[in-house]
Formats: sequence, C-alpha cells, structure tokens
Amino acid sequence: MVCDTVILTAPTGLHARPAGDLVKLVKGFTGSTVKLSVPGRSVNAASMLSLLSLGIKCGTELEISVEGGDEQAVVAAVRDFIASIKE
Amino acid sequence: MLDDPVLAESVRGNVLAGMDELSALDAARDMIVSMFGHIDDEYLAARSDDVRDIFGQIRDAMTGNAVSSVFKAAKGSILVAEELFPSDMGDLDFSSLSGILCHKGSTTSHVCIIAHAKGLPIQMGVEVAGIRDGDAVCVDDPVFGGVPFISARVRTAGRKLYVNAGSVDEIRAGIAAGADGVGLFRTEFLFLGRDAMPSREEQRALYREALAACEGRPLLLRTLDVGGDKMLPYMPMPAEDNPFLGLRGVRFCLAHPELFRVQLSAVLDAARDVRESHPLWFDAGTPLRLMLPMVCSVEEIRQVKEMLSEIDAGYASLVRVGIMVETPAAALEAASLAAESAFFSIGTNDLTQYVMAADRGNPAVAGQYDPYAPAVLKAIALAVEAAHAYGIPAGICGELASDPKATDILLSMGLDSLSLSRL
Repeated sequence: MVCDTVILTAPTGLHARPAGDLVKLVKGFTGSTVKLSVPGRSVNAASMLSLLSLGIKCGTELEISVEGGDEQAVVAAVRDFIASIKE
Repeated sequence: MLDDPVLAESVRGNVLAGMDELSALDAARDMIVSMFGHIDDEYLAARSDDVRDIFGQIRDAMTGNAVSSVFKAAKGSILVAEELFPSDMGDLDFSSLSGILCHKGSTTSHVCIIAHAKGLPIQMGVEVAGIRDGDAVCVDDPVFGGVPFISARVRTAGRKLYVNAGSVDEIRAGIAAGADGVGLFRTEFLFLGRDAMPSREEQRALYREALAACEGRPLLLRTLDVGGDKMLPYMPMPAEDNPFLGLRGVRFCLAHPELFRVQLSAVLDAARDVRESHPLWFDAGTPLRLMLPMVCSVEEIRQVKEMLSEIDAGYASLVRVGIMVETPAAALEAASLAAESAFFSIGTNDLTQYVMAADRGNPAVAGQYDPYAPAVLKAIALAVEAAHAYGIPAGICGELASDPKATDILLSMGLDSLSLSRL
C-alpha cells in the first residue's frame, strides 16, 4: 500500500462536480482500491456519495491510500488531481 | 450518484438481510443521509437533500408512482410546497410561476439555486400547512427584494452605494456593511429634543466622529433641516399656515445666521481636525460634503458660501458645497444650481410631495403622492442631466433609493449613487 497527503485548496470545498470527476479518475484504475481519509473517517474514493459525505472544506488535509495496481502512479495521479481542483 | 457503489451495496446488503425491496431502499437512504449529518458546512450538508431526491426518484420508478411531469398553474401563481427536490424543478412550468414558498430545505439548496437561475423568487422555511388554494401570499426573497438586490445592481452598474445615517453608530454600521460613503447625514437630531442649541464644541465633536467613522469615504453632511414639522423649542418658530411651504431647511438657517454660523464653524473645525489626524483622506479628495436642504435659488447657495468664506477664506479645501434637489424650483433651475454646486443629491420624499402638490402624511392624497409619477421622474431626469452637463455627480437619498422596483429605473437615468436608508 502507498500513501500520500494533499490539501484541498478549492475555496468552497469539495463539490459534486469535482467529486464526480475524481470518481471517474479513480474508476479508471481498475486494479487499484483508492481510499481517501480525513481524521476519524476513511472512504472509498470511487463512491461519490461517500466523498461528499466527508464534507471536505477548503484547507482540509486528505490522506490518499492505494492498494493494488501501480500504487505509486495512482497515488500521484489522485494527489495531483485533488491539488488542481480550483472551483 | 445513481452509479454509486455504496448505494447499490447497501440496498443489496439490506435485501440479503431479509428486507423487502422498498424497505431496503429506505434504510439505505437513511444510512447515506445520516453520513451527511456531521458536516458543519451548511452548503455541503445540504447535499443530503439531493441524496433524498435520488432515492425518491428510484422509489417512484419502482412503485410506478412518478408524478405527472407537466405542472400546470395559472399565470402569476405562487407555488406552495412542503418540500421540493431538484428533480421537481425540472417539471415546473416556470413561465406560469411568479414565486415559490417552501417549508423544508435550506437557502443554499439546489432548489433555490435553480429557482434563482430561472429568475424566480423563493422563500424557504415558511409554515405552509395553513395556506389554501387561492390565498394571497407573498414571497420574501432577499435575493430579489431589498438591499442585496439593489446593492448587486448598483455595483454591477459601477455606481456608488451610500447609506443614510442619523448617528455615528449608523454610519459605522453602514460602512461595516460595505457602504462607499454616507449619502445623507442628518444633523438635526443633535438639535432636537433639548432646551438649548448645541455648542460649537459639541457639534465639532460629533461631526469629527462622523467623518472619522467614514474613514476617508464621502460624508454628505446635511446642514440643519428644521421647520415644516420639526421644531426647535429654543428658537422662535412662530406657527405658520403652511409650514411645509414656510421657513424650513436652508431658509430657516439663512434666517437665523447666528445659529447657522455656529454649525458651519463646527463643520469646518471638524474638517480641520480630521485633516490633521488623517491627511491622506484629504489628499485623495475632500471627503466632507456640505449638503443644503430645500434650496430653491442660486442666491441661497451663494449666501451659504459667503458665510463659509467669512468664517474661513480657505474653506473650499475643507468642504465641498452641494445641494439637495427636492423642490420643483431646484429641478427646473438645475442648470444654474449645478454651476454653483459640487454635487446634487435628490431628495425624492419632498420632491414628490412638492411636484405632485400632495402632502406625504395625508392618506386622502396617498394616490397622488407617487414617486413614480411621470412628473417626478422628469424632475429627477432634469436634475441628473444638468448635473452631468456641469460634470458634477447626482445621487439620490430619498426612500425611492431603497425601493428595489426603482433601482433599474434610477440606474438607467444615470444616477451616480444610491443612498439607502440601511444596508
């Protein structure tokens, strides 16, 4: 398993549209299980409902963990995507 | 969201645990909605409404209960609902609706966003149970009415948004709410309800505090505006047959130069004080504006300027002198008055009363007291045109400025600032 952290900088938090885009990205990595964690909770990043239910606000530090597949590459892709969310 | 693995897995799990399909669906909905319960951000937490909407649609599809997709209402109707979902909004014929009242739901929900995008006012949190078909109801949506609407329009048009104030506290509140300045500072409150005239020092302190509270933004300080229905117990104010056509506003002040001179001196004192403590505010322009009420002739402005220069020959670096346009004479003679003024501020309350010859307080002529009457709008237009021809700003500080129905009219007439009774 490979882990990394990233901070969400989108001013109004993680919204439905970017969350949906993140789900699409994660579902593309068929051999990997991607989890996103905030202190106290960890969810499947392929579930939009779960992502939204975290209520991720601007400035929140998220931990990404990937199991299976090309773990290094998947972690990097997810981290870069979250860091690039601007709306 | 329909594709979500959590949704499918929880329904499947519930069915395997022995529930019937609909119970399994409802239990999955409750479980997922409860996941949103801990979110302390109102907008993100409101997404649980969208979750319930999706489950409602699945349920309707399973039970065949889907509501008719065509919603018919008489033109101008207000839709009253216990709860609305974004998917309901797709079924509405917005052209027939003039507003929505809804009991459940937050003002940041998608339902509100869609309604606003369609140009429809919507009010949430309304107790709708007692409302019957055909009742007259009203929708109070701050996005459409009131200050947020006016301020958005004024900002978009690149004009100034001022606030009217009668005290330093009101100035502070207005500036804190984002005002570009004070479009009307009433000084008469300092003079009313007491046994003797306020001293020069007392006035100086108040004006200084008022100007400081504006932090360099314009302060349109209206000189003492009494007479009419406002009496000073310590001044001789004999009864008049027609007090509103009598000795009021600048006329009263010019008739009592001993009193007016004290106010003008205090204003200049305060300007000097603030220029000394905050020179930058004066470098950027003269923030203090002296506004004369009830002006009817150029002669009145000249007399005031003469008094000012007697007090301090260099007064022009401390205050700019402008007038309220609130008499028909001022509107008709706007061009010659503009030549002597640094600004116009249109007082629509008195202007309406005088142009329409209708007492503001007399209910029998309430129909004639109409600030939207063509004659009043023409008077406003005359003032604005004359001001712009002389390169001075024209604002409005009457109640019309606080009426959202008037905002677009006033902006299209070219008014440079709207001063609202509160922000």
